[in-house]
Amino acid sequence: MAQQVTGPAAGASQSAPPRMKFYVDTKRCIECGGCEVACKNENEVPKGIFRIRVVTVNEGVTGETNVPIPCMHCSNAPCVAACPVDALYTRADGIVHVNKETCIGCGYCLYACPFGAPQFPKANVFGTRGVMDKCTYCAGGPAEAFSGKEHTLYGANRVAEGKLPACASFCATKALVAGDAEFVDSVVKQRAATRGGPANTWGWDQAYKS
Amino acid sequence: MTNSMNDIRNSKCVMVIGENVCTSHPIAMQHILTAKEVNKAPFIVVDPRFSQTAGLADYHVRLRSGTDVALIYGMIHVILKNNWEDKKMLAERTYGYKDLLAELSKYGLPDAKASKTDLKEDLKAVSDMTGVAPEDVIKLATLMAKNRPSTVIWAMGGTQHNHGTGVVRTYCLLQLVLGNMGVSGGGTNVFRGHDNVQGATDLGVTSDSLPGYYGVAESAFKHWAGVWDVDLEWIKGRFTTVKSKAKQMVDGKEVEVDVETKLMEKPGLTVARWYEAVLMDQKVLGQPTNVKAAIYWGHSSNCESQMDRVKQALEKVELLVDIDPFITTTTMLPDRKDGVYMLPAATAYEQSGSVTNSNRGVQWRNAIVKPVFESRTDLDILMDFANRMGFGKDFAKNKNGPWKQIPEDLTREISMGMLSIGMRGHTPERLKRQHDWAHTFAVNNTRSESGPTKGEQWGLPWPCWSSKHPGTAILYRTTVPVMQGGGGFRARWGDKAPDGESMLSAKGSAPVGGSIKDGYDAYKGYATDLTGKAIDEALAKGLNPYGNGRARISAWGIPDPVPTHREAIHSPRPDLVAKWPTYDDMKEQFRVPTLFKSLQKPDWVKKYPVILSSGRQVEFEGGGATERNAWWLVELQPEMYVEIHPKLAADNGIQHGDWVRVTTPEDLDAKPSSIKVKAKVTRRVSPDMVYLPFHWAGVWDGKSLADKFPDGMAPYGTGESANVVTNYGYDRVTQMQETKTGLCRIEKA
Repeated sequence: MAQQVTGPAAGASQSAPPRMKFYVDTKRCIECGGCEVACKNENEVPKGIFRIRVVTVNEGVTGETNVPIPCMHCSNAPCVAACPVDALYTRADGIVHVNKETCIGCGYCLYACPFGAPQFPKANVFGTRGVMDKCTYCAGGPAEAFSGKEHTLYGANRVAEGKLPACASFCATKALVAGDAEFVDSVVKQRAATRGGPANTWGWDQAYKS
Repeated sequence: MTNSMNDIRNSKCVMVIGENVCTSHPIAMQHILTAKEVNKAPFIVVDPRFSQTAGLADYHVRLRSGTDVALIYGMIHVILKNNWEDKKMLAERTYGYKDLLAELSKYGLPDAKASKTDLKEDLKAVSDMTGVAPEDVIKLATLMAKNRPSTVIWAMGGTQHNHGTGVVRTYCLLQLVLGNMGVSGGGTNVFRGHDNVQGATDLGVTSDSLPGYYGVAESAFKHWAGVWDVDLEWIKGRFTTVKSKAKQMVDGKEVEVDVETKLMEKPGLTVARWYEAVLMDQKVLGQPTNVKAAIYWGHSSNCESQMDRVKQALEKVELLVDIDPFITTTTMLPDRKDGVYMLPAATAYEQSGSVTNSNRGVQWRNAIVKPVFESRTDLDILMDFANRMGFGKDFAKNKNGPWKQIPEDLTREISMGMLSIGMRGHTPERLKRQHDWAHTFAVNNTRSESGPTKGEQWGLPWPCWSSKHPGTAILYRTTVPVMQGGGGFRARWGDKAPDGESMLSAKGSAPVGGSIKDGYDAYKGYATDLTGKAIDEALAKGLNPYGNGRARISAWGIPDPVPTHREAIHSPRPDLVAKWPTYDDMKEQFRVPTLFKSLQKPDWVKKYPVILSSGRQVEFEGGGATERNAWWLVELQPEMYVEIHPKLAADNGIQHGDWVRVTTPEDLDAKPSSIKVKAKVTRRVSPDMVYLPFHWAGVWDGKSLADKFPDGMAPYGTGESANVVTNYGYDRVTQMQETKTGLCRIEKA
């Protein structure tokens, strides 16, 4: 008889499922815009809407830094707290989604969000807001997985296919890292540890100059 | 590249000069960032712009565009003065070091070994020429010397100058002086511009060589006639012979003699100036007729400077053919209704075959879909041409007989003929097998660790001398045997230099494990023996077939044997033009006359006080025919722009988003050229320069060309082209256009 395989899921079923996370490494982003294009292509995001945006600060001077900003899928997400109709909710795996059939386009989430993730297409000529659109972590939305309805309302569902979000998958320098919290955490720790040392450590010269 | 992309991970110091990696080669940044983070390698960017790459660097040095030679010589002086040079490398494996020392003295640099002067004082003249402070020159040299192996990476910022050949040669001299050649983490690493462009160069896209750098002499045609199994006499019969009179000295008297030039053996036109052979009077051309037809194949005409003249030529030729997956500028630019043919070519995803990447590695590419709609593969189009021109059968065969398996037999034909650079080991079977076993290749050294590919380097980078050879991931490395990718410098220049010095490298400097321990000449017949016996014999003795010679610091046969700084033809520093002039005009360069000195007018700068440089933006590539048709790319970058420093903008009453007119010198035309573009006010550029991306087209002289496209085919992104205003000027050796250093004036439009 074949030996029964016990995967990590067997032990983990007792505790909460892993939380999905993004990590944005500002020391690695090269402002190529690959994440923006990958997102638009994968999710067929309409013109003018950006589910992820690379922001450059201090352009052209020392200290120039690029920050790709998707929805960060916060723990205790302020948008979820602010939503008056409970259109926003946090999934068991930590991904924050919006139900577009419930959303009333009030825009409170935009004011609550520290990252500017919620996007609002113009609904009519007077510029009133349409239903909110945002990064889904490429995990579709509250509709049947892979259905036409899901695709139209929310875009791709790569997570259900066992894939990571398109933006992080395309990132040339892995400035944008996606995965469950444990994995992302190990990447953050490994990078921080690697970067320590003489060349880049603040105060090294003062402390060890003989 | 002498080393591989991945090998940058092994560098202890990375200097990028004249290249914006983040924009032009984003994927390569992962290797540079790994060197920076893991090795703590100082990351230096030398560029007139504070580019996106500079934003990630530890050090950015802003030099005046086109003064690289002086900067590198300043660095070499600092290295010599501190005794940091690799004396063994210089003595054993180079030729002409003393000529370099003589050249250095022209830059106000005293004898590095004898003088006791202060380094900062020494560097005063260099600093004045380059705009780089002496402290920064010292810092760069110190970082590069103290953190070896250090690598130098460059691209078109080094080449697009009237002395571009000299500029890139100085980068190589720096690496020779530092002994960074033939070592992991070092090397001279030029990032090639686009997909398979190294393959195109290797296979003779230039007009002065047949595939494999054999040149265009009759002997080269003989070699390839043998590969192709065609009659050499038949090839010769396809070319005409030009008879002319020339003056010659006979017994002290000048007499007129008849000269016969076989066009077959004469370098042809270049992509930079082909149109002059359409427009100029035939009498000044180096060929008996004007050009009557133009075929563009995977190239956009908005990449060529002097675009107003390109347009005239596109209108004047009798036949114009444009072969591309998209409708390019070439078809839309000329005002003509007849004689234009667009052939829809398949994209890279619709055809298979072997391609060569920047680090000489060859990969097999599989078609993932059949060509869609009416498009056809490049080979299919080429075959159709050959058939209709009546030599299809001769075209589709070689020494092994008629092609049977396409495109595999083409790769086999390439490996049969390309012996000079050692592409002999590239069989389709090996290339495909590498794909199947890609997971066995290590990231840091690109070597396969297990499986049937064990020991092979990824892509079998040439020279790959035989079906057993692993490929050469790092060129000129003598510490490993030839059969593991070892080799010296190619012995390409005979065994003696004109001054009698040996061109073979010194005693004991050969790659390890060979029967000869010293310098040796190329193995007799290795490049032309189609049976491959010569190469196999050399390998059996542990010898590198191309020999073990010396690198030429002083290269006889080119205008500046040791590179010399030359001011740009449109120099912003007329005070330096007298000491560092450009070259004399050439009556004939690649069959057309080229102006140098007669256009280098010191008063250009009075009317045109701002330096004009051009380059890339990350969203688009080349002429942008593909990318300007992708709406999400255009959404990110919807308009053509000029980068202007806040000070220059304010001084000219220009604000971010304003329309700006960029006007440049009249050069060959009666009136100045100009374009109208949006202002992007940014500190990336210095206050004395502006920067234009060159991918734009679709608007000419203020008028949109959109109505000329078939319905629904006009690109989403259109704008005026940078190459309308890039200045006249060409490299003295290669005729590369001088589009990195020009002059212009700007005003609010």
